[in-house]
Amino acid sequence: MDAYELIHRELTRVGVKLAATLPDDWVGPLIGRIDADPAIRHVPVARESEAVVVATGAFFTGKKSVAVIGNTGLLTCTGELATLNLRHQIPVFCIVSMRGTYDDHRIWQEVQGRRTIPLLQAYDFPYQVLDSLDEIGCIPAVYEASRLQKRPYILFLTRRLLKGKAWQ
Amino acid sequence: MKTRDAMRVIAAHRGDAVAVCALGMASNEWWQATKSEETFYVHGAMGFAASFALGFALMAPEVPVLLLNADGSLCMNLGCLLTEAQQAPQNLKHFVVDNRVYQTVSAVPMVNRGLTDYAGIARSAGIPRTLTLDNVPDLEKAMPEIMAAPGPYFTVLRVEAEPSYLEVPPNDYEGAEIKYRFGRAMEKRLGVKIFGPSGY
Repeated sequence: MDAYELIHRELTRVGVKLAATLPDDWVGPLIGRIDADPAIRHVPVARESEAVVVATGAFFTGKKSVAVIGNTGLLTCTGELATLNLRHQIPVFCIVSMRGTYDDHRIWQEVQGRRTIPLLQAYDFPYQVLDSLDEIGCIPAVYEASRLQKRPYILFLTRRLLKGKAWQ
Repeated sequence: MKTRDAMRVIAAHRGDAVAVCALGMASNEWWQATKSEETFYVHGAMGFAASFALGFALMAPEVPVLLLNADGSLCMNLGCLLTEAQQAPQNLKHFVVDNRVYQTVSAVPMVNRGLTDYAGIARSAGIPRTLTLDNVPDLEKAMPEIMAAPGPYFTVLRVEAEPSYLEVPPNDYEGAEIKYRFGRAMEKRLGVKIFGPSGY
């Protein structure tokens, strides 16, 4: 099983019934798997803020939800995460590509690589980094932690996890 | 038509619908008209009450859902119309209070004031049923059809800009209290558990 298949399997274990998504090239294959799963209502959106708020609205039906977006998109929706989710203390679980790391040699990702974690720390949004296949089984525990923290919780997927070691 | 009158008419016809209010004057008027706790009053995220209502409506398809949006909010998230059209929730009725100003900041005129046909944008986005109304008798007449027809149904309410929004205060619940009041109401209404045994 590859990382995408394992993550999808864990989301099924959690009981996710709605996934709101906007892809970058790293999370795209996961979104493809979600789209093909009849047990999950897939909501493709036009902007990442829609994804986190659609997932937030679904919370109030008692159904499990997730937003799947890219790192650049996460930066665009911090205002909504702060003024909706922090303001009202509503959890939202976000799966996000972790761009701009030492092994991601895309020049347009370099700011994301340096400023995303300090930004999350400034907002006090908790996060967890998944860096290897054997860590994917922690997703149900991270999901529960997101509910307990009552705020946005970011699960980062690294390049090493999704695409293997860059030096191999 | 005044916002207050429009909210009263919708409230009278709402039946057992759940509501989501964008921040602003219409939200305050809805609270005054209904005192409803089966309503989520969004404090922030201007533009995204539409996305909140969509996520709720999709996962509770048996519940009629009213979205009380505003023109300023809609303009901050016009993309919501594409998503709403694509998902086509039959239980969602989307109202836009169109007063052409940012009422809560001293009625500062909005971008493109009065020139934009929001119902036309919604139709072009793929929402099949749209309506624009500017008076109370027409709204009274239209409400039974709006409530009975399958959604998404998009209705623009052209209302007068008013000098002060503070004449009608918002509800006095804090952000987390709104979450718990609405969440507990939905637990009873839907027969589900939203919060666990430890309250989160």
